[in-house]
Amino acid sequence: MNSEMTMDSALNSISPLSFMELALQQAKYALENLEVPVGCVIVENGKVIASGSNRTNAFRNATRHAEMEAIDILLKEWQENELSQLQIAEKFSKCVLYVTCEPCIMCATALSILGIGEVYFGCPNDKFGGCGSVLSLQDRHSYKGSQVPEEKSFKCSGGVMSLEAVALLRSFYEQGNPNAPKPHRPVRISQ
Amino acid sequence: MGWEIVGVPGNPPCDPSIHKSTVDVIASVVEPKLINTLVRKLGQVAPLENLRHVKRVKRRNVEEQNVLSVILCPTVDDEKQLDFIPCDVLELINIHQLHPFVTKVSKYAASSKEEWEEQCKLWPTSYHPSMSTVVGISDFTEEESLMICKFMKCVIEMAMCNQCGYQGKNAAVIVDPSRKQVIASAVDQIFSRPACKDTSRNIEIVSMEDSNGSVANYGEDCYPICTSGACIQSNTASSCMYPWKWKKHNFLPEATIMKCGSQSSDSSWHPLKHVVMIAIDKASAIDRMLFPNSPLPKDLYALKDEWESKSSSLKKQKTQKIENREELIQNEVIDDLHSEVTRPYLCTGYDIYLVYEPCTMCAMALVHQRIRRIFYAFPNPSAGALGSVYRLHGEKSLNHHYSVFHVSLTEDV
Ligand SMILES: [Zn+2]
Ligand SMILES: [Zn+2]
Repeated sequence: MNSEMTMDSALNSISPLSFMELALQQAKYALENLEVPVGCVIVENGKVIASGSNRTNAFRNATRHAEMEAIDILLKEWQENELSQLQIAEKFSKCVLYVTCEPCIMCATALSILGIGEVYFGCPNDKFGGCGSVLSLQDRHSYKGSQVPEEKSFKCSGGVMSLEAVALLRSFYEQGNPNAPKPHRPVRISQ
Repeated sequence: MGWEIVGVPGNPPCDPSIHKSTVDVIASVVEPKLINTLVRKLGQVAPLENLRHVKRVKRRNVEEQNVLSVILCPTVDDEKQLDFIPCDVLELINIHQLHPFVTKVSKYAASSKEEWEEQCKLWPTSYHPSMSTVVGISDFTEEESLMICKFMKCVIEMAMCNQCGYQGKNAAVIVDPSRKQVIASAVDQIFSRPACKDTSRNIEIVSMEDSNGSVANYGEDCYPICTSGACIQSNTASSCMYPWKWKKHNFLPEATIMKCGSQSSDSSWHPLKHVVMIAIDKASAIDRMLFPNSPLPKDLYALKDEWESKSSSLKKQKTQKIENREELIQNEVIDDLHSEVTRPYLCTGYDIYLVYEPCTMCAMALVHQRIRRIFYAFPNPSAGALGSVYRLHGEKSLNHHYSVFHVSLTEDV
C-alpha cells in the first residue's frame, strides 16, 4: 500500500553527498589520466544515468569538460532511442547534475541551453565560474537586470564536499598542468 | 565595398557620451590671405599632437563672406586662460594682430558618420571610413586588414546559400594568421529537404594556401553551396543567436535527415553544437591527426628540455625549414621530436572569423581554447557575449584574453 512512499523516502535518503562522492571518483579518474581533476554525474529519478570526467588534454580540446562529456553520452543515447527534441528537453529538465567544481561560463550556458533541472557543485570556480563566481548564468534575475524566461534558469547550490574537490585540484596544480605552455615557449612559426 | 574593423572594448564605455566630450583650444579669426603662412608656422610651433582628427582651420559663411578661424594652440589641461599660450604663438598673435579666443573641439575621433557630422557642428574634424582605414585600431597593416576582410567575406559566403539568399546562418573559420591558413571551418547545420544533399555537410578545409603563401582564391567549390534550390528551412535550432530555441522544434532527426543521403554522422543533431564548438572540435581533431604520436605529457616535458638544449644548433636549419607545417612534417631532418615541440598549444595564435557574435558558451569555449582574436560581422543582441549582452573578454578573472573585432560592411556592394 505504501510502497510508493517507501520508494520516495528511499530516494530522499540518497543525499547529494553520495552523488557528489561519485562525481569525486570521476575527478580522481581524471587526475590519474593527467587531466585537471573535475568530475560529474547526472542523476535522473535518483539514479545515475551518465558520468563524465575532464578530458581536455586527451582531446587537445579545452572544451571537453566533465559536464560536456556526460551531456554528450545522454544526447547520443537518447537520440539512438529515437527521442524527439521535445522529449529530450523534457528529460533534461528532470535531471540533476553533481559536479565537483562550479560549472564554468561555457558549461553553465550549456546547462541553461539544455534546461537542466538542478545543479549541485563542490568548490567555487573563481576564475571562470558561470554559476555565481564570474557570471550568474543560472540566475533568472541576472540577465541585464531583467527577468529571463524560467526555462533559461536552473536551481544551483554550491559547497557540497568542496574541500575534497579543492584537495584534488591542489594536488594537480602542485604537480603542474603538464600540457599548459611553459613560459619558455617553443618557437612560433612566423611569416 | 568598404569594410570597417572596429575593436570591441572589454569594458563598456564608462560614459556613453565619450565621443561627445570636448577639449578647449585657443583659436582666432584670420584674414584669408594670411591663412597659408599661419597654418604652416603653427604646424611647426604648436602642432595639434593629441588632436590629429581636428582640422586646423574652420570655414564659415557669414553674409556671403568666407570667415576663416584657425586653431592657434591647444590649452594646457584645464587651464583656459590665455596666459598659457607658448611664446612662439604669442609672437604670431602680435605680428598679425590676432584676437585669440577659447573654443571647444571634439576630444576623440568620430567612430561613425553620425558622430562625425555632430562633431563638425562644433569644429571640423576628419573622418575616414574607407576600406584601408581601420577605425579605432591602429596596429593593423594594410596587408593585414585585407586578409581580415578576405576571411570575413569567406565566412559570410559560407553562411549564404546562393539559391536561397541569406538565411541567417552562422559560420566559423579558424585561421592561422601567420600563414594565412584555414585550420578548421563550420557552418550551421541545416535541416534540409530530401533533394538537397550536401548543404548540411560541414566543410573542412585544411589548407587553402596557394604556392605564394598568400590567401588563395576561394573557389566556389570551397563553399557548401546549395545547388538544388531545395534547401528551404534554415535551422536555427543550434545557434548562438537562439540558443534556447532547439526545444521548440519537434523534428525526429532520423526521419528528416537520413533521407538526405548524408552519412549517418550527420543524422544526429546536437543542441550545443554551435559553429564555434564544431570548429574547435575540428581544429583539435586536425591537431591530433597532424601530430598523432604525441607522447604522454610528462614525456613531452622531457622532450622539450632535450630539444631546448639542442635548439641553438638546430635553429638555423629550422628557420629555413618551417615554411609551412606540411613541409615540417614531411621533412626528415626535422623528426617527430621537433614537430611535437612546434605543435601549437590548442588554438594559441589563431584567429576565428564568425558571421555572428558568439553566445557565452562559445565565447568561453574560445577562451579555453586560447584563441588570439575574434572577428565577427553581426552583433547578436539577444545572446551575444562579446559586446551585446555580456563583455566576456573584459572579465579580468579569466586566464586568457583575446581581442574582439566587429567587422562591418560600411556600404552596399
Ligand atoms: Zn566547463
Ligand atoms: Zn554559441
